[in-house]
Amino acid sequence: MDSSNVPEFTPKHGVPPRLRDYFTGASPFQRQLASVRKQTPFGQTPSRRKIPQCSPLQENIDPQKIAFLLHKQWTLYTLTPMYGFSYTNLKQYSTLLKCFLAAEKQKGLAVEMGEDFNFKVTFSTLSGIKGTHRDPAAFLVQIVSKSQLSSKNTEDKVVWTGWFCSVHGDSLLENVPDDFTCLPLFLANGAESNTALIGTWFQKTFDCRFTRLTISAFSLSWMAAMWTSCNLEHYGTATELLWSVPCSPQSLDISYAINPEDAKALWDSVHQTPEEITQEEVDLFIDCLCSHFHRHFRINLSATRLVCVSTSVASAHTDGKIKILCSKYLIGVLAFLTELAIFQIE
Amino acid sequence: MDEIVAEFIRRTILKIPVAEIGKILRIWNFLSESQLKTINLQQCKENVSQDVVELCKKKRASMKEAAILDIIYHQTCQIKKIWIVYKMTKAPGEEVDLSDMEEFKASFKKVLQRALKNVHISFRDSEDDAVWIRIAWGTPYMKPNQYKTTYVVYHSQTPFVFISHCQIKKYIPELWQALMTAGNYHKIRQMELRSLYLDSLKAIVFKQYNQDFQTYYLTPLEEENSEAEIVDPRIIHENMKEKERIQRVTRETFGDYVQPRIEFAQYKLETKFKTDCKNGILAEREEPFRCLVKFSSPHLLEALKSLAPAGIADAPLSPLLTCIPHKAMNYFTIREK
Repeated sequence: MDSSNVPEFTPKHGVPPRLRDYFTGASPFQRQLASVRKQTPFGQTPSRRKIPQCSPLQENIDPQKIAFLLHKQWTLYTLTPMYGFSYTNLKQYSTLLKCFLAAEKQKGLAVEMGEDFNFKVTFSTLSGIKGTHRDPAAFLVQIVSKSQLSSKNTEDKVVWTGWFCSVHGDSLLENVPDDFTCLPLFLANGAESNTALIGTWFQKTFDCRFTRLTISAFSLSWMAAMWTSCNLEHYGTATELLWSVPCSPQSLDISYAINPEDAKALWDSVHQTPEEITQEEVDLFIDCLCSHFHRHFRINLSATRLVCVSTSVASAHTDGKIKILCSKYLIGVLAFLTELAIFQIE
Repeated sequence: MDEIVAEFIRRTILKIPVAEIGKILRIWNFLSESQLKTINLQQCKENVSQDVVELCKKKRASMKEAAILDIIYHQTCQIKKIWIVYKMTKAPGEEVDLSDMEEFKASFKKVLQRALKNVHISFRDSEDDAVWIRIAWGTPYMKPNQYKTTYVVYHSQTPFVFISHCQIKKYIPELWQALMTAGNYHKIRQMELRSLYLDSLKAIVFKQYNQDFQTYYLTPLEEENSEAEIVDPRIIHENMKEKERIQRVTRETFGDYVQPRIEFAQYKLETKFKTDCKNGILAEREEPFRCLVKFSSPHLLEALKSLAPAGIADAPLSPLLTCIPHKAMNYFTIREK
């Protein structure tokens, strides 16, 4: 979407942005944005999506630099826009955050750092993790524990990692004033207590709010379809869906793992529209799997809860956890997660 | 007393939950009652185990007695080990063997020790006519490692053996040979049945699960509720007939007794893909649609039993699931007929 040609109030988007909407937040600074999400007709999620493709920007990324993002379990959060954040101040932020964490540790709060006070905080940008040029740059925060022996040979150990990004988020967000930076997706790996503390610092400093991102069974079924549709040279892991059965008094988990080539064959047979995936195709794909299961076990999986989906591309859990396994579709996975994050932001 | 034995006894006591230590030491019957009285069980476990080791040193305990202590610990406490069931078969035409347990033990020990040097074997009988065999494996150049042990449970006059393997897997053929020779059997095969709960495996394999007399009647509580709620006799439960049918069918399939406890069942599906709808999806595909389905639950059979009444499954439930206790299997491969 080229912002110079399209008039500000397009009929498709209904509600025009009003200045006063930006200042009705409950925060004491009254800077929190009330809502950034573009109003879609009837507030529905899209019924068709583009098949995840390699983003042209991703070709510039050095695969070595983003290798550490893969094969790690990330806990997902949504983040409201940050006020007053600037990419030129990253070094200052490192120092401020480090002082904050050191102070909290001195107060006696549980801070998992490794050796006492011998840690450093780094803020750095992650180039290439964006959908279009209009997406703000992703950035990374790491807590590195320095070895007490202080010899140059011992490696620093990364204790906590968190990164902020927005992939194709631009098309879903209202025109945001310049002092706000919109990176709605936050991923964290490391001790929960550290995530909470660092989140508190961000919330105080930039007047934003974190919330855990939950992935509904509906979104998980989209992930199953989208990731099965991806073309890979080599399918490492089976396409696995994990269902949790709400029966009492004992819980029951059903793991349904399909050979990845067979899952792809089923998808290819279901998929009709070129370049796009529709809701009907997703439903049909899941229905086919459920009915094959029903043929053998006479159990209706649709009456149970889909909690986890795992493929050669990525694996996701309903509690808001993701593990990305394939660098080729990293941007595609992040794009879908960004969309989910934006829809969850109130 | 050797340091290795002392350390082994110390570590074994540390593993036992505090509440069971007194009981297990009494069953062991190595230390006298007066000696046991001197142990203060209220102190921390490290001190308790030190006290026990001191007493054992005075009595000069050897590895033989320490091994028995280990067996009693395994027999008494619920250890998280997977037990696999094996079935031995006789050669056609061979008669039922009437040898007794003592002959079995002697023969087993002789055969295994002849095949392998440095293997430490201990026996202990249990109440249900079974013998527990503990085997610590060594190599021709190293003494047996008492921390890497395999347990075998064998009921005399039955063809079933329950084995809990340790990490050392290379002596399995020698173990089987010893079992077959001692029991006078011709072949041994691994059954598709394994679980953490030895008692459940025994119940399934010896078909004892349906002799439990706990039956589920329509509880008096339910009847009271129905009387209190129904004000107008014209108000009935809409799907009463269907609900009753489901209850009846479930009871017929699973019985009224408490199900034996297993925690997972695995199915390898290699059938063709077929759906009811006429979309023709994958219709031309000849190759099987390969899947692996795994059910897990703290008490799988009870959970499956509750599915049809909850409306999640059709009644009767698929025979693939209900046959688990009857066929004594929980690992299946399903192919097209």
